[in-house]
Amino acid sequence: MHISEGVLSAPVLVTGALLAAGGIAVGLKKMDYEKIPEVAVLSSAFFVASLIHVPIGPSSVHLVLNGLLGVLLGWMAFPAILVALTLHAVLFQFGGLSSLGVNTVIMATPGVIAYYLFNLPIRKGNHLLSTLAGFGAGATGIALGAILVALSLISTGESFLGVAKLVLVAHLPVMVIEGIITGFCVIFLKKVKPEVLEVGK
Amino acid sequence: MKRFKAQVSGLWIMDYGLWIISGVIIFLFLILTSSTAFAHKVSIYAYAEDSMVFAEGYFADGSRSRNSRVEVFDANTGEKLLEGKTDNEGKFSFRIPKATSIRLVLHASMGHQNDYTIDEKEIKAAMGIQDTGVRGQESGVKERKMESKPRPTVPLTVASGVSPAEIEAVVSKAMDRKLQPVITMLLKLQESSEKPGITEILGGIGYIIGLMGMVMYFKSRRKG
Repeated sequence: MHISEGVLSAPVLVTGALLAAGGIAVGLKKMDYEKIPEVAVLSSAFFVASLIHVPIGPSSVHLVLNGLLGVLLGWMAFPAILVALTLHAVLFQFGGLSSLGVNTVIMATPGVIAYYLFNLPIRKGNHLLSTLAGFGAGATGIALGAILVALSLISTGESFLGVAKLVLVAHLPVMVIEGIITGFCVIFLKKVKPEVLEVGK
Repeated sequence: MKRFKAQVSGLWIMDYGLWIISGVIIFLFLILTSSTAFAHKVSIYAYAEDSMVFAEGYFADGSRSRNSRVEVFDANTGEKLLEGKTDNEGKFSFRIPKATSIRLVLHASMGHQNDYTIDEKEIKAAMGIQDTGVRGQESGVKERKMESKPRPTVPLTVASGVSPAEIEAVVSKAMDRKLQPVITMLLKLQESSEKPGITEILGGIGYIIGLMGMVMYFKSRRKG
């Protein structure tokens, strides 16, 4: 889902950077002292997840974990993802420094949406409901991310529906895998440390 | 120790250090054992030979970038020379349209893109054009490189009735055959150098932990 350097036009890059800056400001404001280690660990997980890839058909896609980050961190997913993406760009040349803002928005926004949709059912629901909500959070993160990739590529002249379909189809297996991973993580955390699921403020 | 733990019980992560460490180890194990990890970045590599340019597109995991659009530009003027698509093995080749340095831009789908520039000297050498102006100033290494290319104006005293052109053709054919494994090896090296290594992965995690320490330090000072 990382958009490379030099693909997008300046207005899209600037818009992405501004939106990302807004999200990061909100995220940093919400981050209290006790949450910092959690944000760092999840940021590391996101950083490593991109290296685990799922071969499908001619292409291959990798784990993103943005749904998991979102549902556990809420707005704090923005700074966590920004840090990991910066390291991706610098160390692996995944994405690029100029497209950092856009990529952060593409991956963090679905996470925040997953938080608003699924955090409550995960916390309050019974075992089954929590698992399903966790699955939903993981899958939503990927699906919305794919749509945002397609949206930001409109400016390059590629047709929105074409790209959206391509990205969505390519990420269908990842959606399922991430749904399962997120579901398991959420259930595990709910059992051993339910207060983690409370994002606070 | 127990009291300390109770005090910072908010830092739940600390209680699960073992879990996290084993998780990281499993992650790394997965990455290192699977030969096909990392599909993400797309790269293009190209070289010129016999008036042709051969380009190859591949993803960071070594898989080929098939059916991807390649645009070819004149690197000096920015003028677009031609456009094509890679085949099923991620390969794309074309006859050199112009003796100038050439920039190839590979567009893989979903926002992946990369480029590669072949410089003018290589193009000219492949076309058999002698760049006399530059030759005089070239270093010994470059000189040898030029030597290995077939030169059209080799003064040959032919006694056996074989024309210089024929000798040249035979030599260059033999050379191509000999160099093929070397070129393949170079391509492989180029690919593997672009895969993320364990150093980078651990380094990245280290950066994040360091950053966490810094943020915590500043926040705790503000608190106190």
